[in-house]
Amino acid sequence: MSDEDLQLKYTPTTCPYCGVGCGLNLVSRGNTLVGVEPYKRSPINEGKLCPKGATCWETVQKPGRLTRPLIKKNGKFEEATWDEALDLIVSKFTEISKKGGPRALGFQTSCRTVNEDCYAFQKWARCGFLTNNVDNCARICHGPSVAGLSLSFGSGAATNPFEDVLNSDLIVMWGSNAVEAHPLVGRRVMQAKKKGIPVIVVDPRRSPTARLADKWIQFNPSTHIALANNMMYYIIKEGLEDKEYIRERTKGFDDLKKVVEKYADATNIHGVPQETVQEFARQYANAKNAVIIYCLGITELTTGTDNVRSMGNLALLTGNVGRPGVGVNPLRGQNNVQGACDMGAYPNVFSGYQAVAVSENRAKMEKLWFLKEGSLPDWYGVTLTEQINQAGDPIKAMYFLGLNPTVSYPDSNHVRAQLQKLDFCVMQDIYWNESCEFADVVLPGTCFAEKDGTFTSGERRVNRVRKAVDGPGESKYDWEIIALLAKKMGLKGFDWKSAKDVWDDMRACTPGLFGVTYEKIEKPEAIHWPCPTIEHPGTPILHIGKFSAADGKGTMFGLEYRPPAEVADAEYPFTLMTGRIIFHYHTRTQTDRSQTLHNDVPENYVQMNTQDAKELGIKPYEKIKVISRRGESIAIARVTDDLAPKVMYMPMHFYKGANQLTNTALDPLSKMPELKHCAVKVEKITEA
Amino acid sequence: MTKKGDMLYAWTNDAEIQKKAELGGAVTTLWKYALESMTVDAVLAVTKGVDLYDAVPVIITDPKDLAKTAGSLHCGTLLMAKLVKKFLDGAHDKKIGVTVKGCDAMAFYELAKRKQISLDNIVMIGVNCGGSVSPVTARKMIKEKYEVDPEKVHKEEIDKGQFIIEYEGGHKGISVDELEEAGFGRRSNCRRCKMKIPRQADLACGNWGVIGPRAGKATFVEVCSEKGAALVDGAVRMGMMATEPANAKGLEIRGKVESAMFKLGDKWRRHDFEALGEGKERLKKIMSETARCIKCYQCIDVCPICYCVDCTTKNPAYVAPGHLPVPFMFHLIRYAHIADSCVNCGQCEEVCAAEIPNALFMHAQQVELEKMFGHVPGVNMELPLMAYVEEKEERLRLHNTGSDMIYENVFNPFNRKEH
Repeated sequence: MSDEDLQLKYTPTTCPYCGVGCGLNLVSRGNTLVGVEPYKRSPINEGKLCPKGATCWETVQKPGRLTRPLIKKNGKFEEATWDEALDLIVSKFTEISKKGGPRALGFQTSCRTVNEDCYAFQKWARCGFLTNNVDNCARICHGPSVAGLSLSFGSGAATNPFEDVLNSDLIVMWGSNAVEAHPLVGRRVMQAKKKGIPVIVVDPRRSPTARLADKWIQFNPSTHIALANNMMYYIIKEGLEDKEYIRERTKGFDDLKKVVEKYADATNIHGVPQETVQEFARQYANAKNAVIIYCLGITELTTGTDNVRSMGNLALLTGNVGRPGVGVNPLRGQNNVQGACDMGAYPNVFSGYQAVAVSENRAKMEKLWFLKEGSLPDWYGVTLTEQINQAGDPIKAMYFLGLNPTVSYPDSNHVRAQLQKLDFCVMQDIYWNESCEFADVVLPGTCFAEKDGTFTSGERRVNRVRKAVDGPGESKYDWEIIALLAKKMGLKGFDWKSAKDVWDDMRACTPGLFGVTYEKIEKPEAIHWPCPTIEHPGTPILHIGKFSAADGKGTMFGLEYRPPAEVADAEYPFTLMTGRIIFHYHTRTQTDRSQTLHNDVPENYVQMNTQDAKELGIKPYEKIKVISRRGESIAIARVTDDLAPKVMYMPMHFYKGANQLTNTALDPLSKMPELKHCAVKVEKITEA
Repeated sequence: MTKKGDMLYAWTNDAEIQKKAELGGAVTTLWKYALESMTVDAVLAVTKGVDLYDAVPVIITDPKDLAKTAGSLHCGTLLMAKLVKKFLDGAHDKKIGVTVKGCDAMAFYELAKRKQISLDNIVMIGVNCGGSVSPVTARKMIKEKYEVDPEKVHKEEIDKGQFIIEYEGGHKGISVDELEEAGFGRRSNCRRCKMKIPRQADLACGNWGVIGPRAGKATFVEVCSEKGAALVDGAVRMGMMATEPANAKGLEIRGKVESAMFKLGDKWRRHDFEALGEGKERLKKIMSETARCIKCYQCIDVCPICYCVDCTTKNPAYVAPGHLPVPFMFHLIRYAHIADSCVNCGQCEEVCAAEIPNALFMHAQQVELEKMFGHVPGVNMELPLMAYVEEKEERLRLHNTGSDMIYENVFNPFNRKEH
């Protein structure tokens, strides 16, 4: 036995997968990760984990990690020194920006990486190239939440912490399959149910979460607004609205009333019997404290922002915002989707949602970032998938930090074709992924187990990430790579020595996060932002007494139902929904490297209704071809009655899977593509 | 010469340990001696992590570092044996000393039976354990029942049936019964536990039964093995520790404390098992609770009985992979493989993300199997019933007789002695 055999180190840190932010202990012996052990001290998950969290260590030190910078020469990637790679990036980006201006570049960061990386990345893009063309992948999950909740409540974040559902009298889960997508929030709902708190799940599919419910309300895919308006029609008709709350704390009631009056009976749209709608409306309005938890079923549609605002409408109409046990809570998808937005990796705001359009904000940042007065741009930068659309014209160079756009963005064929049009492309990641072949330079970054930093979870809790082991080969901290690029360009303000230095740089220019110091988040209780001063204890519940909006009011909106951009027709008769499964995370770059997770779901599948399968002569577990106007995908048929006839469901995780089929049509307000709804047809695969 | 069966009072002579020591400091002193004399290569102990609610296992090779492991952490709900198997190569080629609670000691035996740990290379100092409290529960309990900020607490202990905290500006004790009535207190497996003095360790230490002038200043040591006797003799010989025979009255008191604990354990067993109902009713309850399972495999990962590399729950012939809800067969496999040897350590329940009372279900079955077959897990190296079957022989027997009754010979208790 070597000395390493008598070492055992526990590093308490935060899970790298979903937005719940579970605590866990990484166990290492020397520089080798050997396991995950429960961190029972964490108030978020009390040591409990889902299949992904429990195996997150397995994916860190597997073969295939990027260990040296790679430069593409004559179509082949060759290993290079850091200096060569960074010099090339600086010269290309500088040249292209000189020629094409700030709109010729696109910057995209992952929500998987730490806040410190996200802040450094947008600071470099903004300081180095005076552009707002910087975005993160929140755009394609909860962009509509940021937009919608900001319009409704004045803040685009979840109103109440996860554990607070235990203080509720009614839990409504709408378009959220938390048991699979946010399992440790699913656990809170299980706890609530054990306590006797009723749970209603609104979902077109009988998901594992729907199975948990006291009542499952099945409705037609993507008809949220019709259903919500129909409910509000009854609430107002029966006088169940919270009149005092509406008077004191909100505006827009008349506007709302006028529209919902038209939804006296919308069963023809949403498919739910009127008695059920009426009963649901009464139950929600009469509950002393009712909370709505929603997720991507609400957001990933061309009506995403309006769907979110409809949830806001329901809560405001019944006075269910601003105290324990109530609220409207989006379950943020990725571990740091809240944080990446908070850090200002967003095309219209600096960190802490300080709008770039406001000249005082720009002037402040220019001063803190050592920039010339009046140099920062005021225009709304180009968003994530729009950057892809603009690849080639006017965007000539793009930088991707921790992203796999050819798999995770809608319409993969389109993404691949667009990336081909770039003059220069950089991918910074931990593993070689399907998109790397489109890069000119590939840089080796480090993963959560190899660096210090913070993730901000879906309940606005800033959780610490702690380094357990060194990254492989010549890999570097991602913020460090960005700082090196900035310094090569001669920029000031990038002399960070540690992740804490980056965090403190961010705090200095972000009022809502100023009080969140590393010292204060040493214990796993951590801090929920806003936290403006060192003495401030943080804000677990938003909008108490007053909404975050400038006028302090919550706003209700009259919103009309609009059908999805592409609906089933004679040629493509099925509606395809997409979603997440518990065994995988996004494009499986990490989860498929765990033997356990791979064994559970090694390949793509699609759920379809028993009757449809019978009519098409499809047997359970038969491989079938699913075809949309944009592409096709092969999947194993899981035949089930959990879906209505003519509705199908495919997980989004697989290469040449769901996103071969999905639609790029955008929500006009948030630019969210319609990932959850498209029309498809099914073909049997004939033996060759 | 100390020998197996001796009942002693022991106290440290080490000035450094005296400063930190609680109740005599014998355990820390014995480990110091074990390391210095190279009786063990390392000690696996528990230290405070971020605060006293956070118990973190630590490997100590330098006796100087022992100081930080002194004192008990009642929020420490770790299971040491499985850590030795997972992270210390089962102690197959290093000698490791471990401080153990009852469940740890039982788990060591079960893993040793399965050849996952070399018990020869393990020195166990057992400590009396009245139960432990999960950290988040403890903090909530202190906030709500004690009305004290859990951040201000610097010491906690369980004494005379009370959970006592010391904090800035005072101390407060509330009876464990009252706390448990209110849904706080010890983990549910701890409530049912009847392994209060772990005599299958090499030494069983604690403060129960230390009376008279030594009260509060000595550790009660019951010598349970030759290995344990040698450790005590060594420490005494080196002048690090002193001992005297335990006071007879003290011995009696220790017995009373233990039997009071047993009674309490029995009370909780009746309470918990009766609530499960019997027969079909019980099955229904188990099926409905386990239907929430999200297949995180953590119950398997933490279980001191589980060790298979190719777990049957991952065999697609038994459990269709990739499905939620998880087929009930997943749980049936766990019950079939583990229930005869379950030591009620509670880990599977504490880590369950779906709030399934796993330990209760398994423990309830273990108790029934013990009644039927007389096998008591965790107390010695006697193998469980299933282990008496040689798979090859069994397959041959089935083939030759045409029977499909697997293990028929084993489950017939009358034939058992023949094996």
